[in-house]
Amino acid sequence: MASQNNSVVRFSVSDFIALTNQTLEYAYPSVEVEGEVGSFKVNQGKFVFFDVKDAGGSVGCFMTVWQLRVPIEDGMKVIVTATPKLTPWGKFSLTVRTIRPSGEGAIKKSLEMLQAKLEKEGLFADERKRVLPLPPNRVAVISSTQSAGYADFIKIINDRWGGIQIDVAHVQVQGAAAPDQIIRALQYFNSQQELPDVIAIIRGGGSSDDLSAFNDEPLVREIASSRVPTLVGIGHEIDTSLADMVADRRAATPSNAAQILVPDATDVRRANRQLLKGVVPNIFRMIESQRREARMQLSLMLRITSENIEQQVNQLEHTRRLMNELDPSTVLSRGYALIRGDLNVGSMIEIEKHDILVKAEVKHVNKK
Amino acid sequence: MSTKNKSQTITEKTDQLRELVAWFDGDDFLLEEAMQRFESAQKLAEEIEADLKNLKNEITIVSQKFDEDV
Repeated sequence: MASQNNSVVRFSVSDFIALTNQTLEYAYPSVEVEGEVGSFKVNQGKFVFFDVKDAGGSVGCFMTVWQLRVPIEDGMKVIVTATPKLTPWGKFSLTVRTIRPSGEGAIKKSLEMLQAKLEKEGLFADERKRVLPLPPNRVAVISSTQSAGYADFIKIINDRWGGIQIDVAHVQVQGAAAPDQIIRALQYFNSQQELPDVIAIIRGGGSSDDLSAFNDEPLVREIASSRVPTLVGIGHEIDTSLADMVADRRAATPSNAAQILVPDATDVRRANRQLLKGVVPNIFRMIESQRREARMQLSLMLRITSENIEQQVNQLEHTRRLMNELDPSTVLSRGYALIRGDLNVGSMIEIEKHDILVKAEVKHVNKK
Repeated sequence: MSTKNKSQTITEKTDQLRELVAWFDGDDFLLEEAMQRFESAQKLAEEIEADLKNLKNEITIVSQKFDEDV
């Protein structure tokens, strides 16, 4: 409570601090201060203290660890977004909401530090990469639906393939709010009862500052922990973010992401036709093989039949010769004679030779 | 039929087509069966072509807002 004495306002210490804070809050609800980091330290793994300074002065800063989205170290030039505050101990400080590196050198340094840290944890390791199903049945897309990158992505998917359920989470893809929105969208899709087959994070080209949202540590970690395989297609071919590196599959551009995600129906049609064409020679080969086999069988059958006939002919000839040998006229022609009649003394007999017939009487019959 | 099922059918049909075609390279190849199988494969390829031509993607913008914690 303040009291007035001789036109001078007198406060208790607490009231003075409260009034100062009210005045500061009214005059500077949010300020950005750019300077170099000094005396950076983290207490109890929760509270971050540092100074921002320049040649003319230094101011203390306070923030919590979970507000720290990028690695910071002494000497780094930063921009803090903060509320000025007088502490109960009379110390002036900035209560920081966000901190980001400022200037090319600091941004690069911070990015390198984060990349090294995540790499050491194995977040970019090839063994972690999962294969995306091709084609997917259900795709979750995280993008700004007003962006050209998103339009390219959808157009190419529609040109190449059909029958996919595409669920789109509309988020900011640049600016301070972007990482948290993308994180929430990732959490949303990962908590669905029926999980999508792939989550694609899409953003078209932009300045390195525009794309810096995709180097945000919590976002990179959220992508790494996604239950659903991830595909990240951000910026142009030359742009590489930590989100690209941690994703299961990196696409050079949003258009390239669409090409990776689904096959081209034209290629599939062509491949199917080729498959069918490839079968025809097999059929012809088999027909030819069976024809050859039939010819061979026929030829074998003819040969066996022919051999049988020849064998029969030979057999007949042999029999004919034998019959011929046994023919009585043949025997007679060799000088033998055929006798007909009873061989008793006084009987008349007939003797046949090959050229004459003789009638004769039996005179003697002696046993040999 | 839902789009999802239709899409699955394309994949299944493509797998089935590959299986049918693989039979022609296998040891079980019989000329008596070949024509019937070839006709089935041809029909399947035509069905896949028709599916590929006619199927459209279904795009849904999710109603959930992501600009603040829920």
